[in-house]
Amino acid sequence: MLLAACTLLAAVDSTARTLEEIIASKRIVFGVNPNLPPLGLYDAKDQIDGFDVAIARKIADALGVSLDIVPVNSSDRIPFLLSDKVDVVTGGMTRTADRLRVIDFTNPVNTEVMGILTTADKPYRELKQLDDPSVRLVQVRGTTPVKFIKDTLPKAQVLLLDNYPDAIRAIAQGRADAIIDVLDFVLVYTKNYSTKWRVVDAPIEVGYDCLGIRKGNTALTQRMNKEIAILHTDGFIAASWLKWFGHPMLHDPTVGVRAPAR
Amino acid sequence: MPLHFGPILEQWPYLLGGAWLSLKMAVLAFTGGMLIGLTCAALLQFAPLYLRRLITSYVTFATNTPQLVQIYFLFFGLPEVGVVLPPLGAALVGMTFNAGAYLCEILRAGILSLRSAELEAAEVLGFSRIQVVRYVMIPHVMKVMFPSLSNQFIIMTLGTSMASVFGVEELTGRAENLGAETYLSVEAFSVAAVLYLTLSLVATFMLIAHGRLMYRIKARLL
Repeated sequence: MLLAACTLLAAVDSTARTLEEIIASKRIVFGVNPNLPPLGLYDAKDQIDGFDVAIARKIADALGVSLDIVPVNSSDRIPFLLSDKVDVVTGGMTRTADRLRVIDFTNPVNTEVMGILTTADKPYRELKQLDDPSVRLVQVRGTTPVKFIKDTLPKAQVLLLDNYPDAIRAIAQGRADAIIDVLDFVLVYTKNYSTKWRVVDAPIEVGYDCLGIRKGNTALTQRMNKEIAILHTDGFIAASWLKWFGHPMLHDPTVGVRAPAR
Repeated sequence: MPLHFGPILEQWPYLLGGAWLSLKMAVLAFTGGMLIGLTCAALLQFAPLYLRRLITSYVTFATNTPQLVQIYFLFFGLPEVGVVLPPLGAALVGMTFNAGAYLCEILRAGILSLRSAELEAAEVLGFSRIQVVRYVMIPHVMKVMFPSLSNQFIIMTLGTSMASVFGVEELTGRAENLGAETYLSVEAFSVAAVLYLTLSLVATFMLIAHGRLMYRIKARLL
């Protein structure tokens, strides 16, 4: 449905602002999702901040323009781009084949690793080992990994709790053995416990988060790629990630795609 | 917004299983709560002062803190001291603990409604103790308490929905799961609401029938 809406919007002929127009207007508009901490969040002064904003700020500086931030959410971020309300969109923009039919992507800024978080005393080395009736997984009710587990690990026990802090606490208290989720976002909750945590080496899936650009706005995409390459090389992206997430990025976004473990 | 009930209704055995668990939980917690409530209400009549104070504190605490908070403490607080209750166990213990306090109050009010003249009359007529309980106390007390007890049972049946927060796959939890899987949350919760309504109405009907047969209490469903 969303894709249909996007395609429909794309069909409406409106012209995205080109790189030249952006530089001439001395401002660039970034769409940021403030509900995906720490990628995007509202700070104490109710301003949008986070990892995505740090990257956006740096890119705006390099272009010599001011930065405007428009809040977007997961369902309207592509329509915002297609209706030219934003020049660039961020917010967990994982590059997928479906999205590529509607918009262009830059090179990856960061990765999202769907993997297995467990504790040091558990023997798990790969996904297949979890398909066992003795394995107790804890997941957050209503999230996508629940369906993935139902299909892939039908034998495992699954405890569904209401939120990530509770799910992580359940593992720390010995109520569950592991969680399967986007680890970048759940690791932040592990710090409250003295538990010896362990991320299983083989990731289940690596998502590459890029900047979304209006299809055919090639000069802008190329310029963004250049700036992203600089931010990777000078270590800014890695440092910002560490600052906002509290741990290094789990998978290097500049390295090629790893084969999924399943 | 058009509603699509098809994908939800296809899963009716799944939802019905959840409703069945909800009902079982309510019956178990109510039964446990009645045992606690009866004991406490009886003790309040003749126990030593310190014991009565203890019971009063329990009732005050349990009826003035949210049940959700009580179960949260049992589920996530107790493991810190080495007691790990399973999800259903924590929910049942919490609900029983909570119900015990409310039922103690209801039963106490019932006992207080007994007039000493009634008991004296029974004694004069030569009733044995068992006969006094069977023919004088229970018919009187039940008439007074039955509506409150029935209300408490219905409240508890609907209250089982909070167990989904602690990983119990009862009706609300299953409706949430289906909603997330099919992206049809409104439909899933609508079906759940109808099932809850059915549960309540069936329970009410059975309580009314029970009340009429056993204690000649005249109540109507509508």
